[in-house]
Amino acid sequence: MHKTEFMTHLQPDKSLGIFPDSWSEKRAGRIPGNVPIWVGILSELTEFGIFFVAYFVAKINYPETFAEGPKQLNTFIGISNTLVLLTSSYFMAKAMNFIRRDELKKCEAFLWLAFFSGCLYLCLKTWEFSWNDAQNIHTNTSQFFTVYYYMTFNHFLHVGWASCAILWVIFRLRKGAYSAKEHSGLEALAVYWHMIDLMWILIFPLLYVLR
Amino acid sequence: MNKFGKLEVLWLMLITISLFNTTLGENFNSTLIVSAIIALTTMFKGMMIIDHFMELKEGNKILRIMMRAYFFVFPMLIIITLFL
Repeated sequence: MHKTEFMTHLQPDKSLGIFPDSWSEKRAGRIPGNVPIWVGILSELTEFGIFFVAYFVAKINYPETFAEGPKQLNTFIGISNTLVLLTSSYFMAKAMNFIRRDELKKCEAFLWLAFFSGCLYLCLKTWEFSWNDAQNIHTNTSQFFTVYYYMTFNHFLHVGWASCAILWVIFRLRKGAYSAKEHSGLEALAVYWHMIDLMWILIFPLLYVLR
Repeated sequence: MNKFGKLEVLWLMLITISLFNTTLGENFNSTLIVSAIIALTTMFKGMMIIDHFMELKEGNKILRIMMRAYFFVFPMLIIITLFL
Protein backbone atom coordinates (compact mmCIF):
# COMPACT_ATOMS: atom_id res chain seq x y z
CA MET A 1 0.00 0.00 0.00
CA HIS A 2 1.29 3.47 -0.88
CA LYS A 3 2.26 5.64 2.16
CA THR A 4 -0.34 8.40 1.47
CA GLU A 5 -3.03 5.77 0.89
CA PHE A 6 -2.05 4.14 4.20
CA MET A 7 -2.26 7.48 6.04
CA THR A 8 -5.76 8.07 4.61
CA HIS A 9 -6.84 4.83 6.26
CA LEU A 10 -5.66 6.18 9.63
CA GLN A 11 -7.73 9.38 9.46
CA PRO A 12 -9.47 9.79 12.83
CA ASP A 13 -12.81 10.71 11.20
CA LYS A 14 -12.91 7.40 9.33
CA SER A 15 -14.94 4.59 10.84
CA LEU A 16 -12.93 1.57 11.97
CA GLY A 17 -15.45 -0.60 10.17
CA ILE A 18 -15.65 -3.04 13.09
CA PHE A 19 -19.37 -2.60 13.71
CA PRO A 20 -22.25 -2.72 11.23
CA ASP A 21 -23.46 0.64 9.91
CA SER A 22 -26.84 0.06 11.58
CA TRP A 23 -25.04 0.45 14.95
CA SER A 24 -23.82 3.96 14.14
CA GLU A 25 -25.10 6.90 16.19
CA LYS A 26 -26.64 8.27 13.01
CA ARG A 27 -28.77 5.17 12.47
CA ALA A 28 -29.25 3.75 16.02
CA GLY A 29 -29.76 7.05 17.88
CA ARG A 30 -27.89 9.40 20.20
CA ILE A 31 -25.46 7.95 22.73
CA PRO A 32 -25.97 9.68 26.12
CA GLY A 33 -22.59 10.95 27.40
CA ASN A 34 -19.90 9.57 25.14
CA VAL A 35 -18.65 6.27 23.70
CA PRO A 36 -15.77 5.72 26.23
CA ILE A 37 -18.12 5.91 29.25
CA TRP A 38 -20.34 3.27 27.64
CA VAL A 39 -17.32 1.00 27.15
CA GLY A 40 -16.74 1.46 30.89
CA ILE A 41 -20.41 0.91 31.78
CA LEU A 42 -20.67 -2.28 29.70
CA SER A 43 -17.43 -3.58 31.28
CA GLU A 44 -18.83 -2.87 34.76
CA LEU A 45 -22.10 -4.60 33.85
CA THR A 46 -20.11 -7.64 32.73
CA GLU A 47 -18.21 -7.64 36.04
CA PHE A 48 -21.41 -7.42 38.09
CA GLY A 49 -23.03 -9.96 35.75
CA ILE A 50 -20.34 -12.47 36.78
CA PHE A 51 -21.14 -11.72 40.46
CA PHE A 52 -24.84 -12.31 39.82
CA VAL A 53 -24.16 -15.61 38.07
CA ALA A 54 -21.94 -16.63 41.03
CA TYR A 55 -24.82 -15.68 43.38
CA PHE A 56 -27.34 -17.87 41.53
CA VAL A 57 -24.92 -20.82 41.25
CA ALA A 58 -24.16 -20.60 45.00
CA LYS A 59 -27.87 -20.22 45.84
CA ILE A 60 -28.75 -23.38 43.88
CA ASN A 61 -26.01 -25.31 45.70
CA TYR A 62 -26.67 -23.92 49.20
CA PRO A 63 -30.42 -23.10 49.33
CA GLU A 64 -30.71 -23.20 53.15
CA THR A 65 -27.73 -20.88 53.68
CA PHE A 66 -29.19 -18.41 51.17
CA ALA A 67 -32.63 -18.57 52.80
CA GLU A 68 -31.19 -17.87 56.28
CA GLY A 69 -28.49 -15.32 55.33
CA PRO A 70 -30.76 -12.33 54.50
CA LYS A 71 -32.58 -12.71 57.86
CA GLN A 72 -29.32 -11.93 59.66
CA LEU A 73 -28.74 -8.70 57.72
CA ASN A 74 -29.86 -5.25 58.83
CA THR A 75 -32.76 -4.62 56.42
CA PHE A 76 -33.26 -1.06 57.74
CA ILE A 77 -29.79 -0.03 56.54
CA GLY A 78 -30.33 -1.94 53.28
CA ILE A 79 -33.59 -0.16 52.41
CA SER A 80 -32.14 3.19 53.58
CA ASN A 81 -29.32 2.75 51.09
CA THR A 82 -31.83 1.92 48.36
CA LEU A 83 -33.80 5.11 49.05
CA VAL A 84 -30.61 7.19 49.21
CA LEU A 85 -29.34 5.86 45.86
CA LEU A 86 -32.71 6.27 44.10
CA THR A 87 -32.86 9.84 45.38
CA SER A 88 -29.29 10.51 44.23
CA SER A 89 -30.27 9.32 40.73
CA TYR A 90 -33.18 11.76 40.81
CA PHE A 91 -30.77 14.59 41.83
CA MET A 92 -28.46 13.65 38.96
CA ALA A 93 -31.36 13.70 36.47
CA LYS A 94 -32.36 17.14 37.78
CA ALA A 95 -28.78 18.38 37.34
CA MET A 96 -28.95 17.24 33.69
CA ASN A 97 -32.25 19.10 33.22
CA PHE A 98 -30.73 22.33 34.56
CA ILE A 99 -27.54 22.20 32.49
CA ARG A 100 -29.70 21.88 29.36
CA ARG A 101 -31.35 25.16 30.34
CA ASP A 102 -27.98 26.79 31.08
CA GLU A 103 -28.99 27.18 34.75
CA LEU A 104 -25.51 26.46 36.07
CA LYS A 105 -26.13 27.37 39.73
CA LYS A 106 -29.10 25.01 40.01
CA CYS A 107 -27.19 22.30 38.16
CA GLU A 108 -24.32 22.65 40.66
CA ALA A 109 -26.74 22.54 43.61
CA PHE A 110 -28.19 19.22 42.43
CA LEU A 111 -24.71 17.82 41.79
CA TRP A 112 -23.82 18.66 45.42
CA LEU A 113 -27.00 16.90 46.56
CA ALA A 114 -26.02 13.83 44.52
CA PHE A 115 -22.52 13.98 46.03
CA PHE A 116 -23.88 14.18 49.61
CA SER A 117 -26.23 11.27 48.83
CA GLY A 118 -23.20 9.25 47.71
CA CYS A 119 -21.41 10.16 50.97
CA LEU A 120 -24.49 9.20 52.99
CA TYR A 121 -24.58 5.84 51.21
CA LEU A 122 -20.91 5.26 52.08
CA CYS A 123 -21.56 6.16 55.76
CA LEU A 124 -24.59 3.84 55.95
CA LYS A 125 -22.64 1.01 54.33
CA THR A 126 -19.73 1.50 56.74
CA TRP A 127 -22.23 1.40 59.62
CA GLU A 128 -23.71 -1.82 58.16
CA PHE A 129 -20.29 -3.48 57.85
CA SER A 130 -19.44 -2.59 61.47
CA TRP A 131 -22.94 -3.73 62.61
CA ASN A 132 -22.30 -7.07 60.84
CA ASP A 133 -18.96 -7.31 62.60
CA ALA A 134 -20.66 -6.78 65.98
CA GLN A 135 -23.07 -9.65 65.12
CA ASN A 136 -20.04 -11.83 64.35
CA ILE A 137 -20.81 -11.84 60.63
CA HIS A 138 -17.68 -12.05 58.48
CA THR A 139 -16.70 -12.90 54.90
CA ASN A 140 -16.26 -16.58 55.81
CA THR A 141 -19.35 -16.97 58.02
CA SER A 142 -21.19 -18.79 55.22
CA GLN A 143 -21.31 -19.00 51.43
CA PHE A 144 -24.07 -16.35 51.49
CA PHE A 145 -21.87 -13.85 53.32
CA THR A 146 -18.91 -14.49 51.04
CA VAL A 147 -21.12 -13.51 48.07
CA TYR A 148 -22.67 -10.66 50.10
CA TYR A 149 -19.27 -9.08 50.92
CA TYR A 150 -17.97 -9.63 47.39
CA MET A 151 -20.93 -7.82 45.84
CA THR A 152 -21.55 -5.07 48.39
CA PHE A 153 -17.90 -4.09 48.94
CA ASN A 154 -17.37 -3.92 45.18
CA HIS A 155 -20.46 -1.74 44.87
CA PHE A 156 -19.21 0.39 47.79
CA LEU A 157 -15.98 1.09 45.87
CA HIS A 158 -17.96 2.11 42.78
CA VAL A 159 -20.05 4.61 44.77
CA GLY A 160 -16.81 5.92 46.33
CA TRP A 161 -14.98 6.70 43.12
CA ALA A 162 -18.15 7.95 41.35
CA SER A 163 -18.66 10.39 44.26
CA CYS A 164 -15.11 11.66 43.68
CA ALA A 165 -16.00 12.02 39.97
CA ILE A 166 -18.97 14.23 40.96
CA LEU A 167 -16.51 16.56 42.74
CA TRP A 168 -14.40 16.69 39.57
CA VAL A 169 -17.46 17.51 37.44
CA ILE A 170 -18.49 20.28 39.89
CA PHE A 171 -14.95 21.70 39.59
CA ARG A 172 -15.20 21.60 35.76
CA LEU A 173 -18.68 23.15 35.86
CA ARG A 174 -17.35 26.04 37.93
CA LYS A 175 -14.51 26.49 35.42
CA GLY A 176 -17.13 26.95 32.69
CA ALA A 177 -16.51 23.63 30.93
CA TYR A 178 -20.20 22.78 30.63
CA SER A 179 -23.12 24.65 29.09
CA ALA A 180 -26.46 23.92 27.45
CA LYS A 181 -24.56 23.33 24.19
CA GLU A 182 -21.69 21.18 25.48
CA HIS A 183 -22.12 18.96 28.52
CA SER A 184 -21.14 15.48 27.32
CA GLY A 185 -18.69 15.08 30.26
CA LEU A 186 -21.41 15.82 32.80
CA GLU A 187 -23.83 13.50 30.98
CA ALA A 188 -21.19 10.73 30.96
CA LEU A 189 -20.97 10.99 34.76
CA ALA A 190 -24.79 10.99 35.03
CA VAL A 191 -25.20 7.73 33.06
CA TYR A 192 -22.35 6.12 35.05
CA TRP A 193 -24.07 7.15 38.31
CA HIS A 194 -27.38 5.69 37.09
CA MET A 195 -25.54 2.43 36.25
CA ILE A 196 -24.35 2.23 39.88
CA ASP A 197 -27.94 2.78 41.03
CA LEU A 198 -29.09 0.04 38.63
CA MET A 199 -26.63 -2.45 40.10
CA TRP A 200 -27.91 -1.73 43.61
CA ILE A 201 -31.51 -2.23 42.37
CA LEU A 202 -30.47 -5.81 41.51
CA ILE A 203 -28.24 -6.41 44.54
CA PHE A 204 -30.83 -5.28 47.10
CA PRO A 205 -33.58 -7.87 46.40
CA LEU A 206 -31.03 -10.66 45.92
CA LEU A 207 -29.26 -10.12 49.24
CA TYR A 208 -31.86 -8.51 51.53
CA VAL A 209 -35.37 -9.32 50.30
CA LEU A 210 -35.45 -12.87 48.86
CA ARG A 211 -35.35 -15.52 51.59
CA MET B 1 -41.64 25.69 35.81
CA ASN B 2 -43.68 22.62 36.68
CA LYS B 3 -42.62 21.76 40.25
CA PHE B 4 -43.94 18.19 40.13
CA GLY B 5 -42.98 16.75 36.80
CA LYS B 6 -42.17 13.38 35.24
CA LEU B 7 -38.93 12.93 37.24
CA GLU B 8 -40.71 13.49 40.57
CA VAL B 9 -43.47 10.99 39.68
CA LEU B 10 -40.85 8.45 38.62
CA TRP B 11 -38.82 8.95 41.80
CA LEU B 12 -41.92 8.51 44.00
CA MET B 13 -42.91 5.37 42.07
CA LEU B 14 -39.42 3.84 42.49
CA ILE B 15 -39.42 4.62 46.23
CA THR B 16 -42.91 3.14 46.69
CA ILE B 17 -42.02 -0.09 44.83
CA SER B 18 -38.81 -0.47 46.89
CA LEU B 19 -40.70 -0.06 50.18
CA PHE B 20 -43.42 -2.46 49.02
CA ASN B 21 -40.86 -5.12 47.99
CA THR B 22 -39.04 -4.82 51.31
CA THR B 23 -42.30 -5.20 53.29
CA LEU B 24 -43.16 -8.23 51.17
CA GLY B 25 -39.76 -9.82 51.77
CA GLU B 26 -39.86 -9.08 55.51
CA ASN B 27 -43.30 -10.61 56.05
CA PHE B 28 -43.47 -13.53 53.66
CA ASN B 29 -41.24 -16.41 52.65
CA SER B 30 -39.98 -16.34 49.07
CA THR B 31 -42.67 -18.48 47.50
CA LEU B 32 -43.15 -18.48 43.73
CA ILE B 33 -45.69 -15.64 43.90
CA VAL B 34 -43.56 -13.45 46.19
CA SER B 35 -40.40 -14.11 44.14
CA ALA B 36 -42.24 -13.38 40.88
CA ILE B 37 -43.60 -10.07 42.23
CA ILE B 38 -40.12 -9.05 43.44
CA ALA B 39 -38.49 -10.12 40.14
CA LEU B 40 -41.05 -8.30 37.96
CA THR B 41 -41.00 -5.09 40.02
CA THR B 42 -37.17 -5.14 40.02
CA MET B 43 -37.32 -5.53 36.23
CA PHE B 44 -39.77 -2.63 36.00
CA LYS B 45 -37.58 -0.38 38.19
CA GLY B 46 -34.55 -1.15 36.02
CA MET B 47 -36.44 -0.41 32.80
CA MET B 48 -37.68 2.93 34.20
CA ILE B 49 -34.14 4.02 35.12
CA ILE B 50 -32.77 2.89 31.74
CA ASP B 51 -35.49 4.68 29.77
CA HIS B 52 -36.00 7.87 31.78
CA PHE B 53 -32.94 8.56 33.96
CA MET B 54 -30.36 7.24 31.46
CA GLU B 55 -32.55 8.68 28.68
CA LEU B 56 -32.19 5.65 26.43
CA LYS B 57 -35.89 5.65 25.47
CA GLU B 58 -35.15 8.17 22.74
CA GLY B 59 -31.44 7.30 22.71
CA ASN B 60 -29.29 4.66 21.08
CA LYS B 61 -31.36 1.56 20.22
CA ILE B 62 -28.46 -0.90 20.54
CA LEU B 63 -27.53 0.34 24.02
CA ARG B 64 -31.19 0.30 25.06
CA ILE B 65 -31.63 -3.30 23.86
CA MET B 66 -28.46 -4.43 25.73
CA MET B 67 -29.45 -2.64 28.96
CA ARG B 68 -33.03 -3.89 28.86
CA ALA B 69 -31.86 -7.45 28.07
CA TYR B 70 -29.63 -7.30 31.18
CA PHE B 71 -32.60 -6.24 33.29
CA PHE B 72 -34.73 -8.98 31.79
CA VAL B 73 -32.25 -11.87 32.22
CA PHE B 74 -31.14 -11.36 35.84
CA PRO B 75 -34.60 -10.77 37.39
CA MET B 76 -35.88 -13.77 35.39
CA LEU B 77 -33.13 -15.89 36.98
CA ILE B 78 -34.81 -15.19 40.37
CA ILE B 79 -37.87 -17.07 39.13
CA ILE B 80 -35.98 -19.75 37.17
CA THR B 81 -33.80 -20.74 40.16
CA LEU B 82 -36.96 -21.58 42.15
CA PHE B 83 -37.51 -24.50 39.77
CA LEU B 84 -33.94 -25.83 39.95
